[in-house]
Amino acid sequence: MTLPGSCVASGTRGRRQPQLLRVFGPIDLRIRVALGVAGVASVFALWLIGAAAFAGGSLIPTPGATWTAFWDQWHTTLRGDLAASSYRILVGYTISVAIGIVLGMAMGAMRSVEAFFEPPMGFLRYIPATALVPVFLLLLGIDETPKIWLIVVGTVFFNILMMADAARAVPRELVNAAYTLGAGQWTVLRRVVFRHSVPGIVDAARVNLAAAWLMLVVAELLAANNGLGFGVERAHRFHAFPAMFALLMVFGIIGLVSDLLLRALRGRLAPWAEG
Amino acid sequence: MTTADVIEVAAAALEGPGGLVVAGVSKVFSGRRGEVAALADVDLHVDHGELVCLLGASGCGKSTLLSIIGGLDHPTSGRVTVGGDEVIGPGADRGMVFQAYSLFPWLTVRRNIEFGLELAGVDHAARTARVDELLGTMMLTEFAEALPRELSGGMRQRVAIARALAPEPDILLLDEPFGALDAQTRRHLQDFLLALWRRTGATILMVTHDVEEAIYLASRVYVLAPRPGRVLEEIDIPFGRDRGPTVKRDPRFIDLREALADALG
Repeated sequence: MTLPGSCVASGTRGRRQPQLLRVFGPIDLRIRVALGVAGVASVFALWLIGAAAFAGGSLIPTPGATWTAFWDQWHTTLRGDLAASSYRILVGYTISVAIGIVLGMAMGAMRSVEAFFEPPMGFLRYIPATALVPVFLLLLGIDETPKIWLIVVGTVFFNILMMADAARAVPRELVNAAYTLGAGQWTVLRRVVFRHSVPGIVDAARVNLAAAWLMLVVAELLAANNGLGFGVERAHRFHAFPAMFALLMVFGIIGLVSDLLLRALRGRLAPWAEG
Repeated sequence: MTTADVIEVAAAALEGPGGLVVAGVSKVFSGRRGEVAALADVDLHVDHGELVCLLGASGCGKSTLLSIIGGLDHPTSGRVTVGGDEVIGPGADRGMVFQAYSLFPWLTVRRNIEFGLELAGVDHAARTARVDELLGTMMLTEFAEALPRELSGGMRQRVAIARALAPEPDILLLDEPFGALDAQTRRHLQDFLLALWRRTGATILMVTHDVEEAIYLASRVYVLAPRPGRVLEEIDIPFGRDRGPTVKRDPRFIDLREALADALG
């Protein structure tokens, strides 16, 4: 039987598959690396074109000018700003992840807890946390407290929901096996539900960390006297665009590094879930 | 004491330790399309040291029944007793083995088998001794430190059986334990289970949909019919404990196979 289009060339059978664009197809490691390098290079190329196009490098600085500005700031404000921002993220995001783990595990594993928290959370999570900035500044002052709580509020719902999904995905066979080996509720929660969710918890924390930085920068842009977000605002005030771009690069690098660290942590905590 | 109580106490004594009695168990699931009777008035028993199979086609409620015996599910009516005590929930006295994927993937073989002993508060030395013994019985000694994903399907099920046996349950409940294995591994594990039963004298209740498996392993077979799940027939298997693959050529085996296949429909 000959269907229209079923024969690509006479004397052959089947549809020849493309090498690079095959869906779920494997690619060579060398090609993979080359494509990655090309991707980074094209970002730099766009940057250079942009720098040349907008006001001859005064509005968008060249990579070279940014590099110089980076080292200038490194010797002055950058390390202090980095420390201040990192502290806020560390405290705020740790609280968020802790709440996410406790409530997420409980909601994912117990229908009653889910039934109680699901409706209010379905409402609350759609309130943009950025809209709470003025409220928080009024309620909590302008020191560290509102910044830390903005990070918590801006990320905790995502953490809870994603971690609850991780708990929901625990195979029932494992839970039943634990019960029939004499485990009680607490043991099942701790040694089966939580244990099995560890990779999912780390993944959720990794994905939502970006939202934590978003909240922090919003808070620091509006009310702070140090921190990376404040650095951006200061650079803006002095029209120091190379300094501003250097800070943007710093955000990217922090993101990249924390992503790699959390991936490594996942591998350390749950080697059984790798690959 | 009423007469019923006396009879019950006497019956419990006759059963001996670990005897399982399922009396008038029904299970109704209420779903969106109304109520579905999964089990209707099931009576059965497994005496101490017996290996009994529950044979039935899919949808006959045999896994639901095993879950109820294991305490993971509750009957709508009727009751389950083990050694005269009513089952009200899951416990290590009724070790369960599931079809697949029930090993804790983050624990080594040794730590998997140890799990129930740890929960029971058995001290480290006693735990190690018991696990070593089970690893030997299950021919798993050299895989003690392996993770489940490094094992074949047949080995995983051996670990699951060892884990269920570790806390010395009164009865071992097997829910189609070889259902996900290839034919060859399956035969191998059937012989393995027979050898284990001979050696330990364990009381075993096994769910299967495989007629040959039921006849080959069991001393008695309950045939279940579907919709609602109920006991259709109870059949004694005339082969003793020391049976081997040769019984499969026994004319009685072949007759039983025909009869049970007919009963299943």
